[in-house]
Amino acid sequence: MSKIKIVSLIFRFYISILRGTPLMLQLFLVYFGPYYLFKVNTGSIAIGPFNYRFIATIIAFSLNYAAYFAEIFRGGIQSMSKGQYEAATVLGFSKIQTYFKIILPQVVKRVLPSVSNEIITLVKDTSLAQVISVTEMFTRASAAASAQVSVVPFIAAGAFYYLTNLLIEAILNRVEKSMSYYS
Amino acid sequence: MSDSKNDIVLEMTDIHKSFEKLEVLNGINLQVRKGEVVAIIGPSGGGKSTLLRCATTLERVDYGKIVIGGDVLCDTISGRLSYCDKKTEKEIRSKFGLVFQNFNLFPHFSVKRNITEALIHVHKKSKAEAETICNNLLMKMGLIEKADEYPCNLSGGQQQRVSIARALATNPEIIFFDEPTSALDPELTKGVLTVIKDLAKEKMTMVIVTHEMSFARDVADRIVFMDGGVIVEEGPAYDLVTNPQQQRTKEFLAGY
Ligand SMILES: Nc1ncnc2c1ncn2[C@@H]1O[C@H](COP(=O)(O)OP(=O)(O)O)[C@@H](O)[C@H]1O
Ligand SMILES: [Mg+2]
Repeated sequence: MSKIKIVSLIFRFYISILRGTPLMLQLFLVYFGPYYLFKVNTGSIAIGPFNYRFIATIIAFSLNYAAYFAEIFRGGIQSMSKGQYEAATVLGFSKIQTYFKIILPQVVKRVLPSVSNEIITLVKDTSLAQVISVTEMFTRASAAASAQVSVVPFIAAGAFYYLTNLLIEAILNRVEKSMSYYS
Repeated sequence: MSDSKNDIVLEMTDIHKSFEKLEVLNGINLQVRKGEVVAIIGPSGGGKSTLLRCATTLERVDYGKIVIGGDVLCDTISGRLSYCDKKTEKEIRSKFGLVFQNFNLFPHFSVKRNITEALIHVHKKSKAEAETICNNLLMKMGLIEKADEYPCNLSGGQQQRVSIARALATNPEIIFFDEPTSALDPELTKGVLTVIKDLAKEKMTMVIVTHEMSFARDVADRIVFMDGGVIVEEGPAYDLVTNPQQQRTKEFLAGY
């Protein structure tokens, strides 16, 4: 088996595991794993103002979403016609030039709608971080709600998610429009 | 036209090529002299595209020798096939142009950039130089007013003319066309054929795979009839079309 095949198998395995198991489980694993598996005292880990809970959340989300984005880009690259590579080849473009000048710009345009969807889901998924009680929006909202016996904090949290996503959508729409000069 | 060795732009000797078990090219010999226009005709599946793809480095042969513009792309010595190094291959790629059936323009580049990109980033011409070359070619193609358009806003015929301009931009010694009008509506083929005819008048060396028999007869110097991975018959264009010798050639031409 060639090196490339081995690397590709590893990545496919990674992507399949990360997409095939719940994000919440992955969060647990990253947060509790170091202690239960290696007796690492994660309580003492901190980067600046960020404690390990926060760091674990970032790590788990990055690993998980990297798998999703990788899958989207893989699909985008595969959807490119062979003719684009061949035209670039006979014109003398190097492999790197072909990839960055010809293929990637077209792939970005193609995957943008799926990437937008993923980003919006990502924002909403951050509410999952409460399972390891990162003081995340929803945790704060429920704390405030039980203290005040009111649904207003929940509504406020919902509104905040909504507005964040509206903003993200507006930005992504802009980007999409800026690429609509060709079809 | 002299027959001196230096006049030969393309030389393909005893080319063999299989896909898996399927023998697609079965000992092809083809020589094209400077300024010559060769049309390749023949039934679908006969190996015409594969032959062009082998000559243009898109496909590797299994056996044989290919020389383009004096550079050896591959050679088979005492049964062992070897290809040239990367540097020579790049050099060879600058000596030919290839026009695809379905254009393969870069959709995210304007017409101008489709033509100038390789000039600037492969052939290291200045932007001004590249644009001068581009404008001259677009003028010739009757498309100067489309320089800033994107390919999706052009008709198929216009797109194919842009792709011909793109292939011509680097001033190649030979241009290969693989059924340049087969993807076009009949009313759009004329403009493309006219452009190719004009190139023939300028003594551009060309190899054209085509199903346009009257075009091949009138524009080509020589016609090669390919079927089943071999050259069945070849000869002066007019003679081959009006007076084919081989039974298979006769049957094929009878369909037109
Ligand atoms: N990449 C490939 N893999 C397998 N078979 C191929 C490939 N390319 C062409 N062939 C086969 O080779 C034969 C010749 O094809 P081609 O050169 O395209 O013929 P033509 O251009 O004369 O129609 C056909 O039978 C075709 O199916
Ligand atoms: Mg073909």
